[in-house]
Formats: sequence, structure tokens, C-alpha cells
Amino acid sequence: MDEKEIIKIHNVTKRFGGLVALDKVTFNIYKGEILGIIGPNGAGKTTLFNCITGVYRPDDGKIFFNGLDITGKPPHRITQLGIVKTHQIVKPFNEFTVLENAMIGALFGRRAGKISKDEAREIALKNLELVGLIEKKDELASGLTLHEKKFLELARALSAEPEVILLDEALAGLNPKEVEESLDIVRMINKELGKTIVMVEHVMHAVMNVANRIVVLHFGKLLAEGSPKEVAEMPEVITAYLGDKDLALKFVKR
Amino acid sequence: MTILTDLLINLTSGFLWGTVLGAVSVGLTLIWGVMKVVNLAHGESILLGAYVVSALYLFLNVDPLLAMFVALVSGLLLGFAIYWLGLHKIIGHVDVVTLRIEMSTLLEMFAISIILYNIYSFLTRSEPFGIGIWHLTPISYINLGYMSIQVNHLTAAALSLVATFIIYQFISKTPTGKAIRAVMQDSQAAALVGINPVRIKMLTTVISIGFTAFSGFLVVLYESAVVPSISYKYAPLAFTIVVLGGLGSIIGSYIAGIIIGVTYGVSKVIFSVLVSKNASDPLALTMAFIILVLTLLLKPEGLFGVKR
Amino acid sequence: MDIDEFFKRPTPLFILILLIVILIAKLLRLETTDYLITIMFFIGIAMALNIIMGFAGYVSFGHTVFLGISGYVFALLVYYNRDFANLMNMYSGIPIFFIALLAGGVSALVAFLVGIPVLKLKGAFFAIATIGLDFAALYIIKAFIPILNPEFFGAQIILPAYALAYKDNVFVAMYITFALIIIANYLIRRSRFGMGLLAISEDEDAAEALGVPTTKYKLISFALSAFFTGMLGAVFGLNSGGVDENLFNLAHTIDMIVMIVIGGIGTVMGPLVGSIIYFILYDTLLVTYPEFNLVILGFIVAVIVLFAPRGVVGILRGKQFMGKKLRDIIE
Ligand SMILES: Nc1ncnc2c1ncn2[C@@H]1O[C@H](COP(=O)(O)OP(=O)(O)OP(=O)(O)O)[C@@H](O)[C@H]1O
Ligand SMILES: [Mg+2]
Repeated sequence: MDEKEIIKIHNVTKRFGGLVALDKVTFNIYKGEILGIIGPNGAGKTTLFNCITGVYRPDDGKIFFNGLDITGKPPHRITQLGIVKTHQIVKPFNEFTVLENAMIGALFGRRAGKISKDEAREIALKNLELVGLIEKKDELASGLTLHEKKFLELARALSAEPEVILLDEALAGLNPKEVEESLDIVRMINKELGKTIVMVEHVMHAVMNVANRIVVLHFGKLLAEGSPKEVAEMPEVITAYLGDKDLALKFVKR
Repeated sequence: MTILTDLLINLTSGFLWGTVLGAVSVGLTLIWGVMKVVNLAHGESILLGAYVVSALYLFLNVDPLLAMFVALVSGLLLGFAIYWLGLHKIIGHVDVVTLRIEMSTLLEMFAISIILYNIYSFLTRSEPFGIGIWHLTPISYINLGYMSIQVNHLTAAALSLVATFIIYQFISKTPTGKAIRAVMQDSQAAALVGINPVRIKMLTTVISIGFTAFSGFLVVLYESAVVPSISYKYAPLAFTIVVLGGLGSIIGSYIAGIIIGVTYGVSKVIFSVLVSKNASDPLALTMAFIILVLTLLLKPEGLFGVKR
Repeated sequence: MDIDEFFKRPTPLFILILLIVILIAKLLRLETTDYLITIMFFIGIAMALNIIMGFAGYVSFGHTVFLGISGYVFALLVYYNRDFANLMNMYSGIPIFFIALLAGGVSALVAFLVGIPVLKLKGAFFAIATIGLDFAALYIIKAFIPILNPEFFGAQIILPAYALAYKDNVFVAMYITFALIIIANYLIRRSRFGMGLLAISEDEDAAEALGVPTTKYKLISFALSAFFTGMLGAVFGLNSGGVDENLFNLAHTIDMIVMIVIGGIGTVMGPLVGSIIYFILYDTLLVTYPEFNLVILGFIVAVIVLFAPRGVVGILRGKQFMGKKLRDIIE
């Protein structure tokens, strides 16, 4: 992991009416890392992702990607620049086949317009292979299980050939075995494909285990930032979120 | 005649027509607000009431003031049929109405509107049909000095106010009404506190279509006769009014109806000065649709709706 | 695409056969020219609406507005411009097609400008807004056309003899327009653009998040759809010898939507098959039950929406007897 920042989040504030969902949040995401974002329900994690990917325009502050100011750019532009998000609530194109779903990612991703349908198919197939959905490529996405739909989200995102992938609770609702499978894939994407990964996660042991660094959000504020071990030992984090220090450390060790 | 009297006259008649428009839109705002069902058969539901009253009056000599209750009942029955035959399969057991489901119900109501419209066309041969010269008092006009008003227009306005008041009380005071409002605000939460959503959806459809059919009586009272294609005039106006008033808001609809009626009256005067007398009527109606599009874009929750 | 693949895919083959059949029917006088023009008009408007409704999933209820706008533009063009009017009976009527392009262009422009705000609306709100647009345009035409010229009484433009074209020439123009529309449908469906539109109809937010420029795509598809609808309105108006407010009648939307719903939304084959079924039904019903044909059609649509929401083609598509491929080839 080199120390070059790929995304800079500077003083980002987002309000919904009177509610401050993000309050002057500032931190960096470094190239090649796996960054975990944790925080209780309603902390503003999804909102942060939505600000980065252009779904929401921050009320204040700026976001840079590779030095380029991307604040307020429309989502499809940001995807084409190289940041892709998977959805907390999966959104497959139900009437499309699994392959077609992934192909959309390739056709409109980073090489949008410069890629033929055949190339897109190749990329899609490669990524379906990677997440283990290749067998189901001709089935309609509506027929997949939740677990498979989450993998499809991932394959679709990968097919866009992004530099940074934002995973919003990709592990929620999966059983322990599926969680392990997913973590292996996440590590693999990070190590072998060299993608920077940011994951929002409630499955604590998983994120503590796989992430290089952790950012803690709490009521829209950045509460802490550091290695999983450091974060787990910070008193404010423990009181605010983890609850029990021993338990937290156990998570890290696993 | 000076422009000022002209303005006063059109203001008055626009207001009276607006009250009818308001009542006509109440049923639509309920079914749309509570169930997200866009009732494209709204115009045909209006016509049902108009035809029932007229037929009873013309063929059996039933007093329209009595026949209006039959119109209401006929609408309740139509609503019952529409729910069980057309809507239940699509929305009976869904909690969250997705865009796709919304489009299905829209198309289903559209199909129902085609059926009803053509039955009416067949039965009436598309000829005007109505209560004609019936009016409440021995005289048919009341002189206001600057203009004389048809008694029927006044009757329609008064009845629209009473009826809207009653349904408003029903929705806000009775247990059924409260349940309907609960479902409108949050169907999932409503289900959790033990409100049977299927029953509520069915009742909403029945009440909505029933009230709409009743409002058809007001329309025929106002227009003295109706043709099937009048639904092409009233239904789009009702949609405009519902959007302007705010989805699900009964009072909002009634007030928005008056706003649209008055806007129509006033802009008619303005356009007849600016453009020409013949062009003033269509241009005044255009104003309603400009208001519609502007509301959708600038204040999609309407005047009295809740922001979502 | 090589020839082999071409014949393996039923849609292009079907399109080709359809075009040939119409041509043969014309050349051998199997049907009257009027009938053929009407058929092409009806299938055409379904296919034109398909681009926004079938592909992008935006039900444009007031789509007849574009029939009206371009119909009137065309009529006014040939009424006031003798050069245009004269051209219509030269070169086998091909110039009619070009004047119709111009008239369609006006609709495309209107759709583009109106689309910028209105396509921000979703679902029913969009549908209602387009109905509003249709009525607004209708009332504006009603107000201003009679002012333009006292001859246009009641907003009706009856084309004078010099501004009429021979039936055969109208046929040629309609035929080219028709072919253009179905081929465009097919090409769009197979293109990246088409994939993007279908993704929008599935889930617009997800499509945008995956890089589909949804705003641009919706605008283009709405404008294209309006363009083709407008061209049809123009040629049809000429064929009817003039235009009146009926062009704006929402009843035409009924036809378009019914055809798409019967056939199946989201495909090229759907509205094609749907419009043919519609036409056959309409004809047979019209003969047997002239008074009830629309009532029966209404019932058919009601039943299809309930039990086969993706139409006839959708039923076939779900079938597995030819393996998973069936879905692929039928698009
Ligand atoms: N579109 C919106 N409109 C209004 N309020 C919103 C909106 N989106 C989020 N919020 C509010 O902002 C706050 C942060 O929400 P957000 O979804 O970002 O939380 P989160 O950290 O992702 O929570 P969870 O762990 O439950 O997914 C919450 O209070 C939420 O209710
Ligand atoms: Mg979240």
C-alpha cells in the first residue's frame, strides 16, 4: 500500500432538512488500501458514499478523486471516472440475465463508448467467473438468491473497471460461510486486481479482519481514524460503538 | 359591458365551477394518495353518477336529490367490482408500491376506462344526456345585479361543500377513516399495528369511486347534460387539481379545485382581451395544465401535501 | 452482421417479411392503398411509442400530442408553401418523406425542450404531465389556428387540391417512414443505447450509478420517439386530406399502448406482434361486434395486464422448451 491518496474528502457536510447527516467530515482514502467505515445505524455511512458517488451533492465541502474536484458531478460521470458503489439494498436489473447485468457495467463503465459489445461480454464473463456466478450467466437476475444478488452487484461494479470500489454492507444478511467467501473475494480484488476498496460494514469481526484502516462515523461526525487495533482501543470508540473493549479486541484477533 | 363586470362575472362562475371541480377531485386524491393507484377511469366514474341520476330522472321521474344517493351507491358498487376484479391481484398483497406496480395499476385502470367509456358511448349513442331543465327552486335564475346565476350552479356549489365536509369528517373522525389515513402515511407500519391492509385498500377504492360517482351528479347538475367525451375534460382537470392540492389531501383538493376554477374564469377574461373571444376558452384551459406542470416541477408535494 | 446470423434471428427476419408482405400487397393490389397506409400508421405509432415506453419505461400518455403538432406543421407547410406542395407529386412521393422529416423535427424539438423538465418526473407523474402537455397543445392550437386564417374554422385545416398528393405517393412516403421506424427500433434495441434504456426502465438509479447517462438517454429516446410519431402524424394527415383536433385525441394513445401491452413491453417483437394482433382483433371485432369492439379490447388489455404483464412475447419468452435461448432470440 503506497501513501498516495486517491480520494480526499474535505470538510463534507450534508443536511436533510434539520438533520445533519454528515458534519464537516474530512479524511483521505489511500491508493490500494482496504478502508473500513463503521458506525452505528444512521451514522451517515451510506450518505457519505452517496456524496462520493454524486447521488447527493454535499451542502458544503469538497471531494477530490486523483486530484480532480468531483463534488457535485452526476453519478454516471463519477462511475466513468473510476469510482463504483454497490448498493446496500441490492438493485439488480431483474429482467436482465446475469450476464447482461454485468455487461451493462462494462459498457458504461470506465471505458464507456470505447468498448465493443464482445469485449464487454468478455469482461463480464471474467468477473462473473471471479465471483462464482458464471454458471448462472443466462438466468434472469430476478431468480437469484440475496447472496447471489450481492455477488452480482460486485461483478457488475467490477465490470466497470473502477479504481475504487465502495461496498455498502456487502456482507449484511449473509451466513458465516458466505461472509468468509466474500472476504476472500474482497482480498483478492484488492491484492490481485489492485483495486482500492472502501467497505461500510456492520459485521464487525469481518471488517476488523480485512481492513487495513478504519474510519469511525458517529452522528455524522468523524469520530476516529486508524488501524483496526488502534481504533478498537480508543475509549471514545468503545463507548460510542463497540461497547466492550475485550470483545472488540477479540474481533481484531480473529 | 366593462372589463370589470366581465371579470366579476367570470370570477363568480369560475368559483362556482371550481367548487364542482374540487368535489370531483376528492375521490381521485384518496385512491391516488392512499394506494398509489392512478385512476385513469376517473372520468368514467364521474359519468356513472351523472348517467344514473339522469336516467332515473328521465325514465322514472325520480327526484335528482333522491337519485344522487343511488349514484353514490352505484359508485360504491363499481368501486367494489374494480377492486376485486382489477386491482386486488396487482396490489392486494404488496407493502411497497414500486414503479412497476404503479404502472400496472395505471394500465389496468386505463383498460377499465376504455371498457366503461365505450359502454356509455353505446348506450347513449354519444348523444348529450342529462337532467336538463330540472332545478331546485321554481325559478331557474337568481339575479345578483351584475349577473344572474343559475340555481343549479348554486345548488351544485352548496352540495359540493356539504359532501366534501362529510367525507372529510369521515376520513378524520371514524375508525375506518383513521385506518385509511394510517395506511396512506405508512402502509407497513399500519400493517404492524393490526390494520388489515387488504380491507383498507378495498374500502378506499369503494369510497373513492363512490364519492366520484356522487360528484358526477354535481357535474350533470352544473352542465345540465353530459357526453362521454366530457370525461376527457374533467379527468385531466381532476389530475391537475389533485397534484396542486397535494396527494391525499381532501381539503387541498377542494381548495385547488376552486383555484383552478377561478384561474380559468380570470384568464378567460384576460385572453379574450389579449387574443380573441374564441381563443379565450381553450387558452384559459391551457392555464390549468401549465399550473399542473409547474406544480409537478416546483412543488411536487402540492399545496397541502406532505413532503416525501 | 453476417448473413447466417441474420437468418438465425427471427426479429430482423420478421421485419423483412413484414416489409415485403406490405410491398407485395400493394403491388398485387391485395388490399387497398388506404388500408395499407392505415396499417403502417398503426404499427408505426406503436413502434414509435415503444422507444420511450417499451425501452425506457416512461409511459407517455399524451404521446398523441406529437401526432398533432407535426400533423399541423406539415399541413401548414404544404398549405402555405407551393414549392413544397408541388414537390409532393414528384419523384414518386419521396419528397413527402423529407417534408415529414421536417415536421417530425418540430415534434422532436418540442419533446426535447419539454423533456428537460418533464422527464425528471417518474411513473404516473410523468404520464399525467404528458397528458397535460397534450391538452395544453390542443387548446393552444384550437386558439391560434383559427386566428391564423379564417379558412381554418374550428382549427380544422382542409388541404386544398394543390396541397394533396396521389395515394401512391403517400404510400411511398409512409412506407419509407414505416421501414425507418421499425429498423430504428431494432437497431436501438441491439445497441449500447438500447441496453442503457432498458436498464433505466429496470432501475433508473442503479443505471445511473453504473455509468448510464440517464438524463441524456431519456431525452434522446423521448425526442426520437416524438420525431417518429410526428412523421407518422404528418403523412397520415396528408393521407386524410387535412388535419383537425382529433389528431390530439387520447384515443390514439389507447391504440398505441394497447398494442404494446398486448405484444409485450421492452422488446421489438412485442409491439410488432401486438399491433398485428390488435389489427386482426380490431378488424374481426369490428365486423362482428361493431359497437363493442373497444369494450372487448378493453377487457383483453385488462386481462393481459393482470395475467401476462409482459404480453404475448413475454409468455413465449418465459417458456423454456427451446432452452434458455428462446429469450435471446425473441428480443
Ligand atoms: N434521502 C434522505 N432524506 C432524509 N434523510 C435521510 C436521507 N438519507 C439518509 N437520511 C438520514 O440521514 C441519516 C444518515 O443516514 P445513512 O443512511 O447515511 O446512515 P447509515 O450510516 O448508512 O445507516 P445504516 O447503518 O442504517 O445503513 C439518517 O438519520 C437518515 O435517516
Ligand atoms: Mg447505510
